Amino acid sequence: MEFGLSEEQEQIRDEVARFAENEIVPHAEEYDTEEKFPHDIVDEAAEMGLVGASIPIEYGGAGYSTLESAIIAEELFSYDPGIALSILACSFGTEAIREFGNEDQKERFLEPVARGEKISGAAISEPDTGSDVSSVSTRAEKDGDEWVINGNKMWITNGTVGDFFVMLCKTDPDAEGRYDGFSQIVVEADRDGFTSEKITGKLGIRASDTAELILDDVRIPEENLIGDQGAAFLQQMQFFDATRTGVAAQGVGIAKGALRAALDYAQDREQFGKSISEFQAIQHKLADMATKTEAARNLTYKAAWNVDQGNDITKGASMAKEYASRIAVDVANEAVQIHGGSGYVNDFPVERFYRDSKITQIYEGTSEIQKNVIARELLDKGF
Amino acid sequence: MKILVTVKEVATVEDEFEIEGTGIADQYLGADLNEWDDYAIEEAVQLQEAGVADEVVTVTIGPEECEQTIRQALAKGADRAVRIWDDSLEDVDLLDVGAKTEILSAVVEEEDPDLVLTGVQAGDDSFGATGVSVAEHLGYQWGAVVNHLEHDFDDAASVRRELEGGVEELTEIELPAVLTIQTGINEPRYASLRGIRQAQRKELDVKALADLGVDESAVDAELELTDMYEPESESDVTTWEGSAEETAGELAELLRDKGVAQ
Repeated sequence: MEFGLSEEQEQIRDEVARFAENEIVPHAEEYDTEEKFPHDIVDEAAEMGLVGASIPIEYGGAGYSTLESAIIAEELFSYDPGIALSILACSFGTEAIREFGNEDQKERFLEPVARGEKISGAAISEPDTGSDVSSVSTRAEKDGDEWVINGNKMWITNGTVGDFFVMLCKTDPDAEGRYDGFSQIVVEADRDGFTSEKITGKLGIRASDTAELILDDVRIPEENLIGDQGAAFLQQMQFFDATRTGVAAQGVGIAKGALRAALDYAQDREQFGKSISEFQAIQHKLADMATKTEAARNLTYKAAWNVDQGNDITKGASMAKEYASRIAVDVANEAVQIHGGSGYVNDFPVERFYRDSKITQIYEGTSEIQKNVIARELLDKGF
Repeated sequence: MKILVTVKEVATVEDEFEIEGTGIADQYLGADLNEWDDYAIEEAVQLQEAGVADEVVTVTIGPEECEQTIRQALAKGADRAVRIWDDSLEDVDLLDVGAKTEILSAVVEEEDPDLVLTGVQAGDDSFGATGVSVAEHLGYQWGAVVNHLEHDFDDAASVRRELEGGVEELTEIELPAVLTIQTGINEPRYASLRGIRQAQRKELDVKALADLGVDESAVDAELELTDMYEPESESDVTTWEGSAEETAGELAELLRDKGVAQ
C-alpha cells in the first residue's frame, strides 16, 4: 500500500500553488464581486497547460490521469473556487470527444481547447431537467445531412464564453427504454439560431460563467454527432466516476483553503491578551476541520486511484463526492465562525469559500442522488 | 551553442522566525529554487527557443532532497541536469565562494559551455560572488548584474548591466563568458504540466567530487559563521488607507519631505 504522492505529483501541486498565489489570489475578490469571467487568468493558465491537463498528449494536452487532475483541482480550488472552476471547466465536455469521438473530431475540438484557443462546455441540464436526466427534451431532428436542434439548456457552465458545447439531445423520441434515444452532438456557439443568456446573482463561484442556452432551429452538420446515435447515456455513464471524483477534489480544495485561512487568522487575531488559537474552543474547531479535510482527501484520492486502475467504483466515487462536498461546507462554515465579524465581509477569503462551497453539494449529482447511488449499490438493487 | 546554468535550492524563511545558534530554527525554514536562478533559467530557455542555444544544462551543488527543486528547471525547458554531492559536503555548514568556485569550475571544464549563466546572488547566503569568481578562475570573460541580453549573437554577447545609482552600461562580452543574471531581465514562466511530465524523463546526472577531479580539501571553508542576530531596526512605516487615487498624493508628499524625490 502506498499513500504518498510521487515526486512528479508533488511538483505539479507546487507549481499549481505558485501559479494560484501569484495569478489568482490578487484578483479573486474582483472577479467574484463583478461576476466576471477571468479571461486573462484563463489565458495564463492555458499557457501552463492547466486547461487541458487531461487531454491526451497527442492532442496537445498533458495526458494526466484522474488522480493528477484531482490534485490540480484541489490545489486551484484551495485558492479560489470561482476562478479555479473557470480554468478547469474550459475543457468541459471534451471527455466525451476524447473517448467516443472520431479522429477528425479530436483534431477539431480537442487541440484548440488544449492550446487555450477555444473553450468548451457540456450542455445537459434543462429548465425541467435536473437530476432526472432522462427527461431531456432538447430535440435534434435529422434533415438531410444536418441535425436541426430546438430546445433550452439551463445552468450551462461557460454558456456565454464557450465556443462549442457537447449537447445531450433527444434524437429518437420513439425509443422504448427510458435511457434510449439520446445522442451527444457538438454544437458550436456561432451557429445561426444559437443564443445564450448569462445567469447572474449566483450564491458562489461567481467568476465562473453560467448561462441558459436557447436553440432555435440550429443546424449542425451530421459529422458533429459523437459516437453512435442513441448511445448518449451509455457514454455519459462512463464518466460519472471521474467527474464525481473531480467535484470531490474541489470540495477537498475548498476545505483546505478555508482551513489555511482559518489557521492564519486564528494565530494573528488576539483577544483577551493572546492569539485566539491559544483557546481550546478554537483549537478543537481547527482539529476537526483538519481531520475532516484529510478524511475527505483520502476518500477522494482512493476514488481517483480506482478510476485510473479501471476499477468499477460507482459507490466509492459517490461517497467521495457526497462526503467531500459536505465537509467543504462544514469547514468553510467553521472558518467563517473563527473569523467572527471579519469572516462576514469579503476582506478575507473565507466569506467566498463559504458561498462557493455550497455548489459542490448540488452540481454533478446532488448529495441526495449520491446517497441514492451509495444505498442502491449497498443493497444491490441494480440500475 | 551550449549554455550552462548554475542553480541552487535556497532556504526560505517565514515572516516570523527564531534564531538558534548561528542558524534559523528548522521549523521556520522552507526550500525553493533561488529566485535569481529562475531568471537565469528563463534567459537560457529563451535563447534556446530563439535558436541561439542548442543545449541548456543546469548544475547544482546539493543533496538528493534538492532534486525536486532542480527538476523545475528541467520542466521549464533545460535539457539535462548535473547535481554535485559528496560525503565530504555533508558536514559543511557554510560552503564558501572559494569551494563553490572550485567545484563549479570543474563542471564548466567538463561541460565546456559557450556561456555560463548564474544568478547575481543566492537568496539565502547572498555572497553575490560565485559567478564572477568562477569566470576569474577559468579565465572566462564576465558580466555582472546583467538585466538585458540581446538574443542574437555568435562569439560575443551584447549585454546591459546594472551599475550603482541607476546607471546602466551597454557592453559586448566575448565568449566564453559568465553572466550573472539580475531579476527582472525577463518574466520567468511557470513550468507547464507537459514540461513537468517530460522533466521526469530527462537526465539528472549525480557526481561526486572525485568524479570531477576536485580534491576534498577544496570544501574546507576559510570562512566561519560566528553569529546570527536580528539587527535593531530604526525604520518606521507609514500606511495609508484608501485607493491609489486618494493616497498617491500623500505618498508623494512624504517622499518629498524625506528628500527621496524632488
